[in-house]
Amino acid sequence: MLDAGLCRYVLISYGHNALSSDSLFTMLMDFAGDDAVFGHFGATGGYALAARRAMHEFNTGPQTWKHIAVAQRAWANLNPQAMMYDKPMSFDDYLSSKYVVEPLRLPDNCLVNDGGRAVIVTTLERARDLKHRPAVILGLGQHNPSVQVTQSGILTGSTGARKACETALSIAGITRDDIDACQIYDCFTYTVELTLQDYGFFEPGEGESWFSGGTTGPGGRMPVNTSGGQLSEAYYMGLTPLSEAAMQIMGRCGDRQLGPATQTKEPNIILVSDNGGILQTHSCCILGRI
Amino acid sequence: MEYTKPLPRINSDNREFWEGCRNHELRFQKCASCGHIRFPASYVCPKCLRKDFQWIVSAGIGKVYTYAVYHVAYHQGFLEDLPYVVAVVELQEGPRLLTNIVGCPPEEVSCEMPVTVVWKDATPDISLPMFRPL
Repeated sequence: MLDAGLCRYVLISYGHNALSSDSLFTMLMDFAGDDAVFGHFGATGGYALAARRAMHEFNTGPQTWKHIAVAQRAWANLNPQAMMYDKPMSFDDYLSSKYVVEPLRLPDNCLVNDGGRAVIVTTLERARDLKHRPAVILGLGQHNPSVQVTQSGILTGSTGARKACETALSIAGITRDDIDACQIYDCFTYTVELTLQDYGFFEPGEGESWFSGGTTGPGGRMPVNTSGGQLSEAYYMGLTPLSEAAMQIMGRCGDRQLGPATQTKEPNIILVSDNGGILQTHSCCILGRI
Repeated sequence: MEYTKPLPRINSDNREFWEGCRNHELRFQKCASCGHIRFPASYVCPKCLRKDFQWIVSAGIGKVYTYAVYHVAYHQGFLEDLPYVVAVVELQEGPRLLTNIVGCPPEEVSCEMPVTVVWKDATPDISLPMFRPL
């Protein structure tokens, strides 16, 4: 629409009073359908089924997911807007937390919060005149192998993430090695692992060693979810990762800014993901500096 | 005692399945064209898109594809069951269905565990297929 001149600005927004109302709970209960007959509700249950099957097929589980949860919490501790800004979390805190739907514990789940987020998309020509350095869309990819969770053969990968990422990289004309940081849709810790696995950052079962040592946290070699993400900043659906990628590229992230401030690479190219249903839809976006 | 949990919503697609359950039979559609046995019930075969089918009765034996242990009750009716096991069971005939594993502690459930159907008579009209270790 922008290229065709049909409009000059596109606003992408998300707002929800999920915490102070019962609307999120009502929506998830409505989604349950006849699964409710067997006490199966909401997203945590569906992702727990996926995560459990993954634990059967390759090396994963709490010893992998603790690295994701703790690294994202460390990012949130640098972000005054994050819900978990003043709540540090250790591996012991993670491992001693309560199960919601086993194998997923409370800190494996995204937050429920009130709030909103928005981004504005315009032409590069217009963006060059704006106050902040533009975050340029270099590539996009989508793949939606949508099958309900009970009939799905892709709960352990590869999900739509693989083709979506291949498409986005191809359009951008780059390889995975060019990526400086990732903002991954993190409804659950396992989603982060599986998405990065499908993107090819590591082989199935190698996540535990790939994440260990603070790979994705402040100072790490592949920063992931640098606002704290949906696990530790706030849940705004796809707008949490997308807005954080844009803000990082613009250099507007304060204490958590990628680059020298956090002993990480300059964020010239950031990979962003979004995911819907129970691993049923996927989109991948690559943002970069010019 | 009054049944306090949600009950299935019967429609023209799934009526035969739930009538089978009332008779303690697991009935599935078998495509008359390609032989694929499908669940949930549907108007056309998801494999070949043909309409003709026969109902077959499953032996009720399968294995746990995956499972999850609920430690939180999202509906009051399940409070007394905590912790309880929701599972996807893959039957010998092929279909997978969402169900509960009963008759063993949650920590003894595992993926690929052999299971057999047991019936929970919820109301005079509705019986639920659940599974226990074989």
